[in-house]
Amino acid sequence: MTLLAPWALWFLVVAGGVVALYLLKIKRRAATVPALDFWLSLAGQTKVHTLWNRLKRLLSMLLWLVIVTCLILALGNPILSLGKIKPRAIAVIIDNSASMQATEKDQDNLARLALAKQAVEQLSQGRPVADEWLLIEAAREPRVLQAWTFDAKSIRTAVENLTPFGGKGDVAAAVELATQLTTGKNDPCIVVISDGSASTVPQLAAANPAVLYWPIGATNDNLGIAQLSVRPHRQNGNYQALITLVNASDTKVDTSVTLEVDGRSQSVELATIEPSSRWEKVVTIEAPTGGVLRASLDRTDALGADNEAYAVLEPIRPAVVWLVTAKESAFFFEQALGSMDELVWAEESLTITPDQFPAAWLAAHSPAKPAPADAPASDAAPETHLHKPDLVIFNGWTPEKLPSQGRFVVINNCPAELGTTTSELPEPSLHLVPRAHPLTQHITLQGAKVAKAQKITLKQPARVLANSADGDPLLFLVDQPSRQVLCLAFDVVSSDLPFRNAFPLLLRNTVSSMHEDAPSWLRESYAIGDTVRPLRALPANTTTIPAKLLHAAKQEDLSLPVTTSSFAFTNTAAPGALRVEVGGESSFAAINIGDEHESRIAVAPATEDPSEKLGLTRGLLGALPWTMLACVAAVGVVFEWLSYHLRWTE
Amino acid sequence: MQPPSDTALPGHSARPRSRRDSSLFDADFLTKLETLNLIARQLVRGRRSALRPSIKKGASIEFKDFREYSPGDDPRTVDWLAYARLGELFVKLYRQEEELDLWVLLDRSASMDFGEPNKFAHARRIAAALAYIGMSNMDSASVVPFDEGLAQGLPRMRGKGQVLRLMDYLENLKTAPATDFEKTAQMFMSRVRRPGIVVIISDFYGLQRARAGLDRLRFMKHQMHIVQVVSPWERDPPLRGELKLIDAETGAQQNLTITDSMLKKYKAAYEGLSTDLKAYSMKYAIGFDQAKTEVPFDEFVRGVLQHGRLLA
Repeated sequence: MTLLAPWALWFLVVAGGVVALYLLKIKRRAATVPALDFWLSLAGQTKVHTLWNRLKRLLSMLLWLVIVTCLILALGNPILSLGKIKPRAIAVIIDNSASMQATEKDQDNLARLALAKQAVEQLSQGRPVADEWLLIEAAREPRVLQAWTFDAKSIRTAVENLTPFGGKGDVAAAVELATQLTTGKNDPCIVVISDGSASTVPQLAAANPAVLYWPIGATNDNLGIAQLSVRPHRQNGNYQALITLVNASDTKVDTSVTLEVDGRSQSVELATIEPSSRWEKVVTIEAPTGGVLRASLDRTDALGADNEAYAVLEPIRPAVVWLVTAKESAFFFEQALGSMDELVWAEESLTITPDQFPAAWLAAHSPAKPAPADAPASDAAPETHLHKPDLVIFNGWTPEKLPSQGRFVVINNCPAELGTTTSELPEPSLHLVPRAHPLTQHITLQGAKVAKAQKITLKQPARVLANSADGDPLLFLVDQPSRQVLCLAFDVVSSDLPFRNAFPLLLRNTVSSMHEDAPSWLRESYAIGDTVRPLRALPANTTTIPAKLLHAAKQEDLSLPVTTSSFAFTNTAAPGALRVEVGGESSFAAINIGDEHESRIAVAPATEDPSEKLGLTRGLLGALPWTMLACVAAVGVVFEWLSYHLRWTE
Repeated sequence: MQPPSDTALPGHSARPRSRRDSSLFDADFLTKLETLNLIARQLVRGRRSALRPSIKKGASIEFKDFREYSPGDDPRTVDWLAYARLGELFVKLYRQEEELDLWVLLDRSASMDFGEPNKFAHARRIAAALAYIGMSNMDSASVVPFDEGLAQGLPRMRGKGQVLRLMDYLENLKTAPATDFEKTAQMFMSRVRRPGIVVIISDFYGLQRARAGLDRLRFMKHQMHIVQVVSPWERDPPLRGELKLIDAETGAQQNLTITDSMLKKYKAAYEGLSTDLKAYSMKYAIGFDQAKTEVPFDEFVRGVLQHGRLLA
């Protein structure tokens, strides 16, 4: 017999107390009576069996010892292992991902995490006391909740204090961590208490014999928003939202998705989703000034967290385009750009000569916004109030060294840092590379005549969009992390492109695609559990950053303290949107579960019974010893009561 | 030997005497005493004061019996008419008239100093009341305490004027450790030879020894009356469990486990004590009364008088 709660043995002191009391003959109360002989004469009637009475006293003590022993053993929760159960080192991994927040209708609407906690309790109470325990939480990152201990109660306490995570969990990483931590342990076992994490856990269990899958939950009734992503359509001045729904249940679901921007309904999409399948749709969102897009489902199911999702609509702003060209060559390009009102911000755009460019660049990148160190120098006085350009078009000229950041189009030239011009190509034909690219969509150059082009040997990796019949690059894109350069290695004006649709379309594609968005302080989206930090250093002397956390039900105003030009926002426990105000600019970020697997809550079946594999006590081996001991103690108490009251009777 | 007072059960102080003694005989007591005396007088009205027909034969005007003449008899008592008719000498016997004394034998053993209300205090009040009635309506009365033997007690007192002396005596009376009624009876017989009314006030523990003493007194032709003093505690003792019992008289100690069944036996045995005493009294035409301490003494004495068990 093994005691699951050996601390109960400390109560054996009580048994010692019983013996001591009997040995010391329990101190009796004194009572004066008028005639003791009268009482003794009565007692004498019952003292016929003196020996028996003495034996009864001894039996009484023994009986009390039996009662106390039974109660102590019952308190110790004994199990009859019959030698089958041996001490092990058990690493318990409790899945704390979003799917574990699903509620089980058949189990009093308890969340799976609560059931998992019960499983941990059952596990820790059903094993011998010599087991060594480790508790790991499988959330966004694995985290050790309780280091190795022989005290099973610590495990229970640690798991009791576990708070729901609600984001994507990484069970595989937790198993890996547990594997590392069980190295060298006695008969290690990794028990993963999970809903299967989209069959990840059964696969892990199949791959590693030490891993034992303890399934939690049964329901699969869930419909969730697996993805909500948005991209601006600059040419149309609106957004395209891609929404993906996942039906994890085994029934066909009809539902509606409501799309709201800043609380105002934009669209309601009806969806019919087949069992265990997904539904996707691109929805156009008209919101020129941007905002926070929220998608929500009107269906109540097991997992409520994935019934809403958020996305940020960055405001669509026309591009500021600088045209750097000789005056005589400007007309054609100015006309082309002037025809793109919705794409080009005419008031802030400039047409300047190559001589004016360095000063203008410096003026746009004022001291408050330091210009790149490698910007071309100039003696000219910088102009003021210039807006930073989104796109700079160099026609027939380029600076000796291109700025390190920005979007540039170079026409009839090639910056020396990108390629070397070796010779001229007389009247080359222009051929588009068949592969589709946003810059060349809707364009056909078939038959376009080019009077003069340059033969260029590229120095940098570049995406060639069009080339000559000999394969010389004539239109190529150098895409670098902080800089994009589109290079046209031929004279546009002397070609017949001005008389064709191709060039205005190419220019439109270029302006809309090579548009440098206003830099945000935050990423576009974060997963639940992520820590939100600014993407770059905050302005000096900033002590706090005002912020607002937007949820479906409430808006929470926050003040984020700034330390070392940064802040950390960790309360990303639920889907929503975060807005921060830095230097008068608003930056938004969406917070979502961010994983389709979390919406697929169907529980992966286990190949073997974990409680049987672990030899947990139950049935005859579990409850019976406790019950029997308690019954013996109860019978003993009754017998002792009768014995006490019959002690002086015949 | 007296057990220490701190061994008594709560609410059952075995030594509440000092407080009781100071108020044993107060003004109210005297008033009640006089009332009882008036009741007694009414009951004996029409009879000659202080005279009771004696069971002895002697010289009086009331004829009682004949017997054969024997030498030495007074010739004046010879019934000559009978001699003339029968030819044999018979002498006439007449009922002797003598003084009637009341003797109150008061048990002052430690077992009496028990209970709430205290048995000894109750017994002293009863003794005082009976003695007062005796002093007023009989030839004499006396209260004689006894324990292991007969104490000196008060000399025979006549008239109500002795009542203060009687009360002083009883108020200052102390209990003694043990009791031996057989020896007491023996001493009483040697001290008092003339039959009288003997009232014995006791709790009568150890009835077998008490019965031997009662037999002796009965043989002396005394008109006897037994008053058994009982307290509520004795009738239903609040004792349960593992106890160390201490004898109030001897201080002897004994560990006992008192269970419900044992208490039942005790109650039956205690009831049996009274029953045996009553049966003994009926058998030998002895008056018997049980004085419950929770019943006021005057109520008890009035009951005794009205039922004619003492003065009839």
